[in-house]
Amino acid sequence: MKQVIYLTLVFGLVPIQTTVLAHASVGGIRPDLCLVAAILVGFFAGELDGLLLGLALGFVQDLSSAGELWLNLMTKGSVGFLAGVAGRYAANATTIAALAAILGLSLLSGTVFLLTVGPRGLGDASFAVRAVLLPQAMWDAVLGAGMYWLLAKRFRREQEILEGSTGLGSLMR
Amino acid sequence: MFRSTSGTRRVTLVLLALLLSALLVLPTQSQRLLQHIGVPLAPIVTLPIEALASLDRSLREVWEGYVALHGVHEENLRLRREVELLHQQNSRLREAASASQRLTALLEFKGRAASQTIVAQVVGREATNWYRAVMVNKGDGDGVRVEMGVITPAGVVGRVVKTTRSASMVLLITDPNNAITGLVQRTRDEGIVEGTVQGLARMKYLPLLSTVRAGDRVVTSGLTGGFPRGLPIGVITSIEKMEGDLFQSAEIVPDADLGRLEEVLIITAPRGEAESETGLLPAQSPQQRNP
Repeated sequence: MKQVIYLTLVFGLVPIQTTVLAHASVGGIRPDLCLVAAILVGFFAGELDGLLLGLALGFVQDLSSAGELWLNLMTKGSVGFLAGVAGRYAANATTIAALAAILGLSLLSGTVFLLTVGPRGLGDASFAVRAVLLPQAMWDAVLGAGMYWLLAKRFRREQEILEGSTGLGSLMR
Repeated sequence: MFRSTSGTRRVTLVLLALLLSALLVLPTQSQRLLQHIGVPLAPIVTLPIEALASLDRSLREVWEGYVALHGVHEENLRLRREVELLHQQNSRLREAASASQRLTALLEFKGRAASQTIVAQVVGREATNWYRAVMVNKGDGDGVRVEMGVITPAGVVGRVVKTTRSASMVLLITDPNNAITGLVQRTRDEGIVEGTVQGLARMKYLPLLSTVRAGDRVVTSGLTGGFPRGLPIGVITSIEKMEGDLFQSAEIVPDADLGRLEEVLIITAPRGEAESETGLLPAQSPQQRNP
Protein backbone atom coordinates (compact mmCIF):
# COMPACT_ATOMS: atom_id res chain seq x y z
CA MET A 1 0.00 0.00 0.00
CA LYS A 2 2.80 2.39 0.98
CA GLN A 3 4.58 1.76 -2.32
CA VAL A 4 1.39 2.54 -4.28
CA ILE A 5 0.96 5.81 -2.40
CA TYR A 6 4.58 6.76 -3.04
CA LEU A 7 4.33 5.89 -6.76
CA THR A 8 1.12 7.92 -7.05
CA LEU A 9 2.88 10.86 -5.39
CA VAL A 10 5.94 10.56 -7.64
CA PHE A 11 4.01 10.45 -10.93
CA GLY A 12 0.97 12.47 -9.87
CA LEU A 13 2.30 15.52 -8.06
CA VAL A 14 4.52 16.93 -10.81
CA PRO A 15 1.73 16.96 -13.46
CA ILE A 16 -0.49 18.80 -10.98
CA GLN A 17 2.36 21.17 -10.14
CA THR A 18 3.01 22.05 -13.80
CA THR A 19 -0.61 22.36 -14.97
CA VAL A 20 -3.59 23.03 -12.72
CA LEU A 21 -1.65 24.46 -9.77
CA ALA A 22 -1.13 27.67 -11.77
CA HIS A 23 -4.73 28.55 -10.81
CA ALA A 24 -3.76 28.44 -7.15
CA SER A 25 -0.85 30.83 -7.54
CA VAL A 26 -0.72 34.04 -5.55
CA GLY A 27 1.30 36.74 -7.28
CA GLY A 28 2.60 34.08 -9.65
CA ILE A 29 3.93 31.94 -6.78
CA ARG A 30 2.68 28.39 -6.26
CA PRO A 31 3.38 26.09 -3.34
CA ASP A 32 5.92 23.35 -4.05
CA LEU A 33 3.84 20.19 -3.68
CA CYS A 34 6.86 17.91 -4.05
CA LEU A 35 8.70 19.69 -1.25
CA VAL A 36 5.68 19.50 1.05
CA ALA A 37 5.19 15.80 0.23
CA ALA A 38 8.86 14.97 0.88
CA ILE A 39 8.74 16.79 4.23
CA LEU A 40 5.49 15.13 5.35
CA VAL A 41 6.71 11.67 4.39
CA GLY A 42 9.93 12.41 6.29
CA PHE A 43 7.95 13.49 9.35
CA PHE A 44 5.64 10.48 9.41
CA ALA A 45 7.68 7.65 7.88
CA GLY A 46 11.26 8.48 8.79
CA GLU A 47 14.54 9.64 7.26
CA LEU A 48 14.92 6.87 4.72
CA ASP A 49 11.42 7.18 3.29
CA GLY A 50 11.71 10.96 3.28
CA LEU A 51 15.06 10.80 1.51
CA LEU A 52 14.01 8.19 -1.07
CA LEU A 53 10.71 9.84 -1.91
CA GLY A 54 12.42 13.25 -1.97
CA LEU A 55 15.00 11.95 -4.44
CA ALA A 56 12.34 10.40 -6.68
CA LEU A 57 10.08 13.47 -6.57
CA GLY A 58 13.03 15.77 -7.16
CA PHE A 59 14.20 13.77 -10.16
CA VAL A 60 10.78 13.80 -11.81
CA GLN A 61 10.46 17.50 -11.01
CA ASP A 62 13.85 18.15 -12.61
CA LEU A 63 12.58 16.58 -15.83
CA SER A 64 9.86 19.27 -15.90
CA SER A 65 12.09 22.16 -14.95
CA ALA A 66 14.48 24.40 -16.86
CA GLY A 67 17.08 24.09 -14.09
CA GLU A 68 19.96 21.67 -13.68
CA LEU A 69 19.00 17.99 -13.51
CA TRP A 70 20.39 17.50 -9.98
CA LEU A 71 18.97 20.57 -8.29
CA ASN A 72 15.50 19.40 -7.23
CA LEU A 73 16.77 15.87 -6.73
CA MET A 74 19.30 17.07 -4.21
CA THR A 75 17.16 19.64 -2.40
CA LYS A 76 14.05 17.43 -2.14
CA GLY A 77 16.13 14.44 -1.02
CA SER A 78 17.94 16.48 1.65
CA VAL A 79 14.75 18.11 2.86
CA GLY A 80 12.99 14.71 3.14
CA PHE A 81 15.94 13.40 5.14
CA LEU A 82 16.06 16.43 7.45
CA ALA A 83 12.29 16.22 7.99
CA GLY A 84 12.78 12.59 9.01
CA VAL A 85 15.44 13.59 11.55
CA ALA A 86 13.21 16.38 12.86
CA GLY A 87 10.29 13.96 13.09
CA ARG A 88 12.39 11.54 15.14
CA TYR A 89 13.12 14.15 17.79
CA ALA A 90 9.62 15.63 17.82
CA ALA A 91 7.46 12.59 17.13
CA ASN A 92 4.20 14.15 18.30
CA ALA A 93 4.87 17.72 17.26
CA THR A 94 2.05 20.25 17.28
CA THR A 95 0.77 21.70 14.03
CA ILE A 96 2.48 25.01 14.85
CA ALA A 97 5.81 23.22 15.32
CA ALA A 98 5.27 21.43 12.00
CA LEU A 99 4.48 24.77 10.34
CA ALA A 100 7.72 26.25 11.66
CA ALA A 101 9.71 23.20 10.54
CA ILE A 102 8.23 23.27 7.02
CA LEU A 103 8.84 27.01 6.80
CA GLY A 104 12.47 26.50 7.78
CA LEU A 105 13.02 23.61 5.37
CA SER A 106 11.37 25.48 2.51
CA LEU A 107 13.56 28.53 3.21
CA LEU A 108 16.62 26.27 3.23
CA SER A 109 15.68 24.65 -0.08
CA GLY A 110 14.84 28.07 -1.58
CA THR A 111 18.22 29.43 -0.52
CA VAL A 112 19.97 26.63 -2.44
CA PHE A 113 17.92 27.57 -5.51
CA LEU A 114 18.66 31.26 -5.02
CA LEU A 115 22.39 30.58 -4.85
CA THR A 116 22.26 28.32 -7.91
CA VAL A 117 20.22 30.74 -10.01
CA GLY A 118 22.81 33.38 -9.06
CA PRO A 119 21.04 36.74 -8.98
CA ARG A 120 23.06 39.64 -10.38
CA GLY A 121 23.71 42.04 -7.53
CA LEU A 122 22.15 42.70 -4.17
CA GLY A 123 19.05 44.32 -5.64
CA ASP A 124 18.15 41.23 -7.64
CA ALA A 125 18.84 38.94 -4.69
CA SER A 126 16.67 41.00 -2.37
CA PHE A 127 13.88 41.03 -4.98
CA ALA A 128 14.11 37.23 -5.39
CA VAL A 129 13.90 36.80 -1.61
CA ARG A 130 10.83 39.07 -1.35
CA ALA A 131 9.08 37.88 -4.51
CA VAL A 132 9.85 34.14 -4.56
CA LEU A 133 11.67 32.74 -1.53
CA LEU A 134 9.48 34.11 1.29
CA PRO A 135 6.06 33.81 -0.41
CA GLN A 136 6.79 30.23 -1.47
CA ALA A 137 8.02 29.28 2.01
CA MET A 138 4.82 30.70 3.51
CA TRP A 139 2.67 28.87 0.96
CA ASP A 140 4.52 25.61 1.63
CA ALA A 141 4.26 26.06 5.40
CA VAL A 142 0.52 26.77 5.37
CA LEU A 143 -0.27 23.90 3.00
CA GLY A 144 2.10 21.51 4.75
CA ALA A 145 0.80 22.39 8.22
CA GLY A 146 -2.78 21.81 7.05
CA MET A 147 -1.85 18.43 5.63
CA TYR A 148 0.15 17.61 8.78
CA TRP A 149 -2.86 18.41 10.98
CA LEU A 150 -5.12 16.13 8.91
CA LEU A 151 -2.62 13.26 8.77
CA ALA A 152 -1.63 13.52 12.45
CA LYS A 153 -5.32 13.41 13.44
CA ARG A 154 -5.84 10.31 11.33
CA PHE A 155 -2.75 8.54 12.65
CA ARG A 156 -3.67 9.38 16.24
CA ARG A 157 -7.17 7.97 15.76
CA GLU A 158 -5.74 4.79 14.21
CA GLN A 159 -3.35 4.44 17.12
CA GLU A 160 -6.18 4.93 19.63
CA ILE A 161 -8.29 2.27 17.92
CA LEU A 162 -5.30 -0.08 17.88
CA GLU A 163 -4.53 0.51 21.56
CA GLY A 164 -8.22 0.22 22.47
CA SER A 165 -8.63 -3.11 20.72
CA THR A 166 -5.42 -4.46 22.26
CA GLY A 167 -6.62 -3.40 25.72
CA LEU A 168 -9.99 -5.07 25.18
CA GLY A 169 -8.25 -8.17 23.89
CA SER A 170 -6.10 -8.47 27.03
CA LEU A 171 -9.18 -8.03 29.23
CA MET A 172 -11.01 -10.76 27.31
CA ARG A 173 -8.10 -13.13 27.82
CA MET B 1 6.02 8.50 13.89
CA PHE B 2 6.17 4.76 14.28
CA ARG B 3 9.51 3.64 12.98
CA SER B 4 12.82 2.15 13.85
CA THR B 5 16.26 2.43 12.29
CA SER B 6 17.70 -0.99 11.54
CA GLY B 7 21.24 -1.71 10.33
CA THR B 8 20.19 -2.03 6.68
CA ARG B 9 18.34 1.26 6.81
CA ARG B 10 21.40 2.94 8.30
CA VAL B 11 23.64 1.59 5.53
CA THR B 12 21.12 2.69 2.87
CA LEU B 13 20.97 6.13 4.44
CA VAL B 14 24.76 6.47 4.43
CA LEU B 15 24.94 5.34 0.79
CA LEU B 16 22.25 7.81 -0.24
CA ALA B 17 23.98 10.59 1.70
CA LEU B 18 27.17 9.76 -0.23
CA LEU B 19 25.18 9.90 -3.49
CA LEU B 20 23.87 13.34 -2.59
CA SER B 21 27.38 14.54 -1.81
CA ALA B 22 28.60 13.18 -5.15
CA LEU B 23 25.83 15.10 -6.91
CA LEU B 24 26.93 18.26 -5.18
CA VAL B 25 30.63 17.78 -5.87
CA LEU B 26 30.32 16.56 -9.49
CA PRO B 27 27.28 18.35 -10.95
CA THR B 28 28.34 18.03 -14.62
CA GLN B 29 29.05 14.30 -14.50
CA SER B 30 25.91 13.58 -12.53
CA GLN B 31 23.89 15.70 -15.01
CA ARG B 32 24.92 13.30 -17.82
CA LEU B 33 24.07 10.23 -15.77
CA LEU B 34 20.70 11.64 -14.73
CA GLN B 35 19.93 12.52 -18.34
CA HIS B 36 20.38 8.83 -19.28
CA ILE B 37 18.16 7.70 -16.43
CA GLY B 38 15.54 10.30 -17.39
CA VAL B 39 15.10 9.10 -20.99
CA PRO B 40 12.74 6.16 -20.26
CA LEU B 41 11.03 8.03 -17.40
CA ALA B 42 10.15 11.17 -19.31
CA PRO B 43 7.14 9.78 -21.27
CA ILE B 44 5.60 8.48 -18.04
CA VAL B 45 5.75 12.01 -16.66
CA THR B 46 4.70 13.75 -19.87
CA LEU B 47 1.54 11.69 -20.42
CA PRO B 48 -0.28 12.73 -17.23
CA ILE B 49 0.89 16.31 -17.78
CA GLU B 50 -0.67 16.36 -21.26
CA ALA B 51 -3.86 14.74 -19.95
CA LEU B 52 -4.15 17.25 -17.12
CA ALA B 53 -3.35 20.16 -19.45
CA SER B 54 -6.10 19.04 -21.82
CA LEU B 55 -8.59 18.69 -18.94
CA ASP B 56 -7.57 22.09 -17.63
CA ARG B 57 -8.08 23.64 -21.09
CA SER B 58 -11.54 22.07 -21.45
CA LEU B 59 -12.60 23.28 -18.00
CA ARG B 60 -11.32 26.78 -18.78
CA GLU B 61 -13.30 26.82 -22.04
CA VAL B 62 -16.46 25.80 -20.19
CA TRP B 63 -15.80 28.45 -17.58
CA GLU B 64 -15.13 31.18 -20.12
CA GLY B 65 -18.06 30.11 -22.33
CA TYR B 66 -20.82 29.60 -19.82
CA VAL B 67 -19.96 30.57 -16.30
CA ALA B 68 -17.91 33.72 -16.52
CA LEU B 69 -20.55 35.75 -18.39
CA HIS B 70 -20.78 38.57 -15.86
CA GLY B 71 -20.44 41.95 -17.45
CA VAL B 72 -20.94 40.67 -21.00
CA HIS B 73 -23.45 43.46 -21.76
CA GLU B 74 -20.99 46.18 -20.74
CA GLU B 75 -18.24 44.47 -22.66
CA ASN B 76 -20.51 44.25 -25.70
CA LEU B 77 -21.16 48.01 -25.66
CA ARG B 78 -17.48 48.72 -25.28
CA LEU B 79 -16.62 46.40 -28.13
CA ARG B 80 -19.21 48.04 -30.41
CA ARG B 81 -17.56 51.40 -29.84
CA GLU B 82 -14.18 49.83 -30.52
CA VAL B 83 -15.47 48.28 -33.77
CA GLU B 84 -16.61 51.70 -35.03
CA LEU B 85 -13.22 53.13 -34.26
CA LEU B 86 -11.45 50.22 -35.90
CA HIS B 87 -13.57 50.61 -39.06
CA GLN B 88 -12.21 54.12 -39.48
CA GLN B 89 -8.67 52.99 -38.81
CA ASN B 90 -9.07 50.09 -41.19
CA SER B 91 -9.86 52.24 -44.19
CA ARG B 92 -6.82 54.41 -43.50
CA LEU B 93 -4.62 51.34 -43.08
CA ARG B 94 -5.85 49.82 -46.36
CA GLU B 95 -4.41 52.79 -48.16
CA ALA B 96 -1.15 52.48 -46.28
CA ALA B 97 -0.99 48.73 -46.87
CA SER B 98 -1.36 49.03 -50.62
CA ALA B 99 1.50 51.54 -50.70
CA SER B 100 3.55 49.28 -48.48
CA GLN B 101 2.96 46.26 -50.74
CA ARG B 102 4.21 48.13 -53.76
CA LEU B 103 7.33 49.30 -51.96
CA THR B 104 7.98 45.83 -50.52
CA ALA B 105 7.86 44.25 -53.97
CA LEU B 106 10.26 46.89 -55.20
CA LEU B 107 12.75 46.37 -52.41
CA GLU B 108 12.63 42.61 -52.41
CA PHE B 109 15.39 42.18 -54.96
CA LYS B 110 16.76 39.12 -53.29
CA GLY B 111 15.16 35.88 -52.17
CA ARG B 112 13.91 36.04 -48.62
CA ALA B 113 15.62 34.16 -45.86
CA ALA B 114 13.09 31.83 -44.32
CA SER B 115 13.00 29.60 -41.28
CA GLN B 116 11.95 26.03 -40.88
CA THR B 117 9.64 25.66 -37.92
CA ILE B 118 7.48 23.11 -36.17
CA VAL B 119 4.34 23.81 -34.19
CA ALA B 120 4.25 22.78 -30.54
CA GLN B 121 1.62 23.07 -27.90
CA VAL B 122 2.37 24.40 -24.42
CA VAL B 123 1.36 21.62 -22.03
CA GLY B 124 2.79 22.79 -18.74
CA ARG B 125 4.61 25.47 -16.81
CA GLU B 126 7.94 25.28 -15.02
CA ALA B 127 7.74 22.94 -12.02
CA THR B 128 9.43 25.39 -9.62
CA ASN B 129 9.03 29.10 -8.98
CA TRP B 130 12.67 29.79 -9.74
CA TYR B 131 12.72 29.73 -13.54
CA ARG B 132 10.41 31.21 -16.14
CA ALA B 133 9.89 28.33 -18.52
CA VAL B 134 7.17 26.34 -20.24
CA MET B 135 6.94 22.72 -21.31
CA VAL B 136 5.98 21.98 -24.92
CA ASN B 137 4.78 18.69 -26.37
CA LYS B 138 7.59 18.28 -28.94
CA GLY B 139 10.90 16.71 -28.03
CA ASP B 140 14.04 15.34 -29.63
CA GLY B 141 11.93 12.63 -31.25
CA ASP B 142 10.35 15.43 -33.33
CA GLY B 143 13.69 17.00 -34.20
CA VAL B 144 13.80 19.55 -31.40
CA ARG B 145 17.28 20.28 -30.06
CA VAL B 146 18.68 22.34 -27.21
CA GLU B 147 19.36 26.01 -28.11
CA MET B 148 16.64 26.14 -30.80
CA GLY B 149 14.66 29.39 -30.82
CA VAL B 150 10.97 29.48 -29.96
CA ILE B 151 8.55 32.13 -31.22
CA THR B 152 4.90 33.01 -31.68
CA PRO B 153 3.55 35.19 -34.50
CA ALA B 154 3.79 38.10 -32.05
CA GLY B 155 7.48 37.69 -31.31
CA VAL B 156 10.30 35.80 -29.63
CA VAL B 157 9.33 33.51 -26.74
CA GLY B 158 12.63 31.94 -25.66
CA ARG B 159 14.89 29.03 -26.39
CA VAL B 160 14.89 25.29 -25.78
CA VAL B 161 17.07 24.35 -22.80
CA LYS B 162 16.13 20.73 -22.16
CA THR B 163 14.63 17.99 -24.29
CA THR B 164 13.25 14.51 -23.75
CA ARG B 165 11.86 12.16 -26.39
CA SER B 166 8.41 13.76 -26.40
CA ALA B 167 8.71 17.10 -24.62
CA SER B 168 10.99 20.10 -24.23
CA MET B 169 11.52 22.87 -21.73
CA VAL B 170 11.58 26.38 -23.18
CA LEU B 171 13.30 29.06 -21.11
CA LEU B 172 11.42 32.34 -21.65
CA ILE B 173 13.20 35.56 -22.64
CA THR B 174 12.11 37.07 -19.31
CA ASP B 175 14.20 34.56 -17.35
CA PRO B 176 17.46 36.06 -16.03
CA ASN B 177 19.37 32.98 -17.28
CA ASN B 178 18.36 33.65 -20.87
CA ALA B 179 20.37 35.84 -23.22
CA ILE B 180 19.91 36.50 -26.95
CA THR B 181 21.41 39.13 -29.20
CA GLY B 182 19.09 41.95 -30.14
CA LEU B 183 19.11 44.92 -32.47
CA VAL B 184 17.36 48.28 -32.00
CA GLN B 185 15.45 48.71 -35.26
CA ARG B 186 15.73 52.49 -35.50
CA THR B 187 19.34 53.04 -34.45
CA ARG B 188 20.77 49.63 -35.55
CA ASP B 189 22.57 49.29 -32.21
CA GLU B 190 23.21 45.75 -31.07
CA GLY B 191 23.09 44.45 -27.54
CA ILE B 192 22.30 41.44 -25.38
CA VAL B 193 18.70 40.91 -24.33
CA GLU B 194 18.45 39.23 -20.92
CA GLY B 195 15.56 38.50 -18.61
CA THR B 196 15.20 40.29 -15.29
CA VAL B 197 14.10 38.95 -11.91
CA GLN B 198 11.06 41.23 -12.18
CA GLY B 199 9.84 39.27 -15.21
CA LEU B 200 10.74 41.76 -17.93
CA ALA B 201 13.66 41.86 -20.35
CA ARG B 202 16.66 44.18 -20.43
CA MET B 203 18.90 45.06 -23.36
CA LYS B 204 22.46 45.48 -22.18
CA TYR B 205 25.71 46.77 -23.68
CA LEU B 206 24.16 49.52 -25.79
CA PRO B 207 26.80 52.11 -26.77
CA LEU B 208 26.81 55.25 -24.62
CA LEU B 209 26.46 57.45 -27.69
CA SER B 210 23.43 55.56 -28.97
CA THR B 211 20.29 57.69 -29.41
CA VAL B 212 18.04 54.81 -28.37
CA ARG B 213 14.83 55.95 -26.63
CA ALA B 214 11.60 54.63 -25.12
CA GLY B 215 9.27 53.31 -27.81
CA ASP B 216 12.05 51.91 -30.02
CA ARG B 217 11.45 48.36 -31.23
CA VAL B 218 14.00 45.60 -30.62
CA VAL B 219 14.39 42.64 -32.98
CA THR B 220 16.70 39.64 -33.12
CA SER B 221 20.07 40.37 -34.68
CA GLY B 222 20.57 36.85 -36.05
CA LEU B 223 23.95 36.48 -34.40
CA THR B 224 22.87 33.78 -31.96
CA GLY B 225 22.16 30.36 -33.41
CA GLY B 226 18.50 29.88 -32.68
CA PHE B 227 16.92 32.90 -34.36
CA PRO B 228 17.04 34.46 -37.81
CA ARG B 229 17.51 38.23 -38.09
CA GLY B 230 14.54 40.55 -37.65
CA LEU B 231 12.10 38.71 -35.40
CA PRO B 232 10.35 41.09 -32.99
CA ILE B 233 11.49 40.86 -29.37
CA GLY B 234 9.77 43.82 -27.73
CA VAL B 235 9.50 47.56 -27.18
CA ILE B 236 11.87 49.67 -25.09
CA THR B 237 10.09 51.31 -22.17
CA SER B 238 12.96 53.02 -20.36
CA ILE B 239 16.68 53.68 -20.65
CA GLU B 240 19.16 53.38 -17.83
CA LYS B 241 22.41 55.27 -18.07
CA MET B 242 24.59 55.09 -14.97
CA GLU B 243 27.35 57.62 -14.46
CA GLY B 244 30.75 56.08 -15.07
CA ASP B 245 29.34 53.10 -16.98
CA LEU B 246 30.73 52.24 -20.40
CA PHE B 247 27.34 51.17 -21.73
CA GLN B 248 23.69 51.97 -21.28
CA SER B 249 20.86 49.51 -20.90
CA ALA B 250 17.18 49.54 -21.80
CA GLU B 251 14.15 47.86 -20.28
CA ILE B 252 12.01 45.97 -22.77
CA VAL B 253 8.42 44.74 -22.63
CA PRO B 254 8.24 41.57 -24.76
CA ASP B 255 5.90 41.55 -27.75
CA ALA B 256 4.77 37.97 -27.16
CA ASP B 257 2.28 37.51 -24.32
CA LEU B 258 4.36 35.08 -22.28
CA GLY B 259 1.68 34.61 -19.65
CA ARG B 260 -0.84 33.18 -22.10
CA LEU B 261 1.18 30.94 -24.37
CA GLU B 262 -0.77 28.10 -25.96
CA GLU B 263 0.90 27.28 -29.27
CA VAL B 264 4.44 28.16 -30.25
CA LEU B 265 6.75 27.67 -33.22
CA ILE B 266 10.13 26.04 -32.70
CA ILE B 267 12.72 27.21 -35.22
CA THR B 268 14.53 24.09 -36.34
CA ALA B 269 16.54 25.78 -39.10
CA PRO B 270 16.91 29.56 -38.76
CA ARG B 271 18.39 30.14 -42.20
CA GLY B 272 15.68 28.15 -44.03
CA GLU B 273 17.35 25.20 -45.71
CA ALA B 274 13.95 23.76 -46.61
CA GLU B 275 10.33 24.74 -46.54
CA SER B 276 8.57 24.28 -43.26
CA GLU B 277 5.75 21.83 -42.69
CA THR B 278 3.78 24.63 -41.10
CA GLY B 279 4.69 27.56 -43.32
CA LEU B 280 7.50 30.00 -43.80
CA LEU B 281 8.48 32.69 -41.44
CA PRO B 282 9.79 35.47 -43.60
CA ALA B 283 12.49 37.78 -42.39
CA GLN B 284 11.37 41.35 -41.75
CA SER B 285 11.15 43.64 -44.70
CA PRO B 286 13.43 46.68 -44.93
CA GLN B 287 10.47 48.98 -44.19
CA GLN B 288 9.77 47.08 -41.03
CA ARG B 289 13.36 47.44 -40.00
CA ASN B 290 13.47 51.15 -40.80
CA PRO B 291 10.05 52.58 -40.10
